[in-house]
Amino acid sequence: MRVVVADDVLLTRQGIVRLLRDAGIEVVAEAEDAQGLLRHVSLTRPDVALVDIRMPPTHTDEGLVAAQTIRAQHPQVGVLVLSQYVEPSYAMRLLQEQPERVGYLLKERVFDIATVVDALRRIVDGETVIDPTIVSRLVGRRRRQDPLADLSERERGVLGLIAEGMSNRAIAARLVITERTVEAHVTQIFHKLHLPESADQHRRVLAVLAFLRA
Amino acid sequence: MTAVLIQRVKLARLAAGPLALAFGLGALAVARGPGRFTTYAGRSGLAATLTVTAGLALVLAGLVTAFNRPAGRMGDLAVLAGLVWFAPVWVGWDKGPPLVRSLGMLAAGFAFPLLLHLVLAFPGGQPRGAITRALINTVYLEAVLAALGLALFRDPFFDPNCWANCSDKAFLLRRLPRLVYRIGVADRWFTAAAAAALVTVCAWRLLRDSGPARRALLPVALPATLFAGAVIAHAAALQRTPLEDPSQAAFRMIFVVGCVAVLLLAAGLVWAAVRMRVQRRAVARIATSLGQAPPPGSLQAALAQAAGDPELQIAYWLPNSEHYVDAEGRPVAEPTAAPGRAITTLVRDGRQIAVVSHTAALPDLERELGAAVRLALENERLQAEALAQLDQLRASRVRIVQTGDSERRRLERDLHDGAQQRLLALSYDLRLARAQAQTDGDSHTGSLLTQATDQAQSALRELRELAHGIYPAVLAEAGLAAALATLADAAPLPVEIPDADQGRYPTAVETAAYLLVAEALDDAAGRDASHATVSVHQDGGRLVVTVEDDGTDRAAELVQLADRVGALDGRLTVEPMRLQAELPCA
Repeated sequence: MRVVVADDVLLTRQGIVRLLRDAGIEVVAEAEDAQGLLRHVSLTRPDVALVDIRMPPTHTDEGLVAAQTIRAQHPQVGVLVLSQYVEPSYAMRLLQEQPERVGYLLKERVFDIATVVDALRRIVDGETVIDPTIVSRLVGRRRRQDPLADLSERERGVLGLIAEGMSNRAIAARLVITERTVEAHVTQIFHKLHLPESADQHRRVLAVLAFLRA
Repeated sequence: MTAVLIQRVKLARLAAGPLALAFGLGALAVARGPGRFTTYAGRSGLAATLTVTAGLALVLAGLVTAFNRPAGRMGDLAVLAGLVWFAPVWVGWDKGPPLVRSLGMLAAGFAFPLLLHLVLAFPGGQPRGAITRALINTVYLEAVLAALGLALFRDPFFDPNCWANCSDKAFLLRRLPRLVYRIGVADRWFTAAAAAALVTVCAWRLLRDSGPARRALLPVALPATLFAGAVIAHAAALQRTPLEDPSQAAFRMIFVVGCVAVLLLAAGLVWAAVRMRVQRRAVARIATSLGQAPPPGSLQAALAQAAGDPELQIAYWLPNSEHYVDAEGRPVAEPTAAPGRAITTLVRDGRQIAVVSHTAALPDLERELGAAVRLALENERLQAEALAQLDQLRASRVRIVQTGDSERRRLERDLHDGAQQRLLALSYDLRLARAQAQTDGDSHTGSLLTQATDQAQSALRELRELAHGIYPAVLAEAGLAAALATLADAAPLPVEIPDADQGRYPTAVETAAYLLVAEALDDAAGRDASHATVSVHQDGGRLVVTVEDDGTDRAAELVQLADRVGALDGRLTVEPMRLQAELPCA
């Protein structure tokens, strides 16, 4: 797997690069700002770009904007955004245009190399990755008439994993159940929540996130 | 001493009336009798009536002006000009006393300089501008020189062009016919040139002055122009026909035009005096028309109306901050004099209250303002001072809030760029150390380092929450709606935000709205509310943010929120289960 890493803090960037290389991932370029990132992506055509959301000059959402640009210009290049913010709206912004091959992880997981590598793999496989913290915040959101109350414990777990961007097969593997059982759960969940069931596993992430936020 | 002087001046003015009447009636008698062929006035009953009426009208206008306006010299100028106006008739007193005729000749030359001075000194009594003053002085000087030259060296007997007085020469020193001829020609053309200058000055003033000043100038400037035209025409006629002959139509016409011009001038002076009196009364009465608590600026409006000068401006002096403000307390530039505009500084108890910029057609404003108006001015000045201080306080409150907000933002960034990066580095090092310990087979150290790594992760999470609490970055980047949605995600109670306004607003407004909702939600949770509803919508130039809940009655004062909303000139409504802020956002 070929990866471009963009982070304006040298120490962090070097740490990520070293951990990725140790994990057998090929880091083809490093960038310290959005322009450099876009240039390297054009030149090297990596499988995934790993992007910090805060980059010069304003240190706000340059990384997110760059990620959206990459997705628009190079649909075959996946993007994993590392963010300081538990902001579902940022994650959803990322999913809005191209709901696949994107990920939004919290920055504090950057040195949890197993999580990062797993996310990169899933993105390369065409999946979506949403940080579990964001999903659990959305699932745990207080609601006046909670439609989630109709779901069973297991169904709520499956719903969370859908929101994290997992495919049915990945959910089955995570919960150690068969894929058919997962499909049954999904049908049940969408029916109970009155969501139109979508065959497209990418689009359903956005639908579930939007539902959880409503 | 001044009181005595004023008394004498008044007596002299009172005496001027009867004196002028005597002069005028005498002139009439001369014109209808011995001066029948040697004066213009004598040529017809109409000419005599015109001459005497014009002179008397000028004297009357002078007296009206002088008594109407104690400080004005214009009235005296008009009286003098009126008296001198009769001189040519006395010159033509055939077989009259030589001294009277010779004195008449001396005086006759001063009618034009006096009228010119009168017009140029209008309306204030003092001619404005160095050029104007120089013109007046030169004309007087020339008149003196010409009168002396003619009196001392002219023997009318040897003057081939003599007509009014061809015999009397009370002051003759020596006969110099050639010099006298030259003086005559030079005087004629100099006077014509001065008349042209007078027309130019009048036209220039009319063009330059603004509305009210121009309207006040017209009744005097137009007759003056007509009179100057007659003077120029007279010079031109003499150039063609050196022998002046009142029986010729051209000379008679010019004479009649001159008389009419002087009559109109007198009428203009009276009109100006009456108008000024009316204005003065109106100005003095302003205070009573204002009422008990006039809103700021009503004094200026009332004064402008009374003075007939819509551009009138009052600037109040604030001694503490040493600048001028308007009635609303807004800083204004110090008023300066301009063409047609005069500046009056108003003082009360030795302290400057205000400076008024007004039309030059209203001189002596300071004198006209009664005690009541001064008191009203002082009141309005105090009000303006209070308003100015209020403005400053308001600005300072806005600055305090803005400084606080930018500090929050800076702190949030510092946490991300400083502490968070260090914690990340620490977390990295701990992971490396743990991996090393595992490689070394040191399970004890390994588990300690695992705990340490978990601690570092917890610290990172807490730091993230802390930074978000200080300032949510999403507010600045994605706006109020996105930030409120995130707030609802993590709120301790169900929060509904139907149809939140997606627009972007000034940072201060968005921050105030966000903090209002955040605090209201915390407060609602504290009052055991089961849910809250947030609404955000724009209404005209205001952003209206409402938070409603179903908790117990509110006890907290929410002073900080009120301060923040107040700093933005907004309005906070606090009800037991409802909080609403209206924030100007245009």
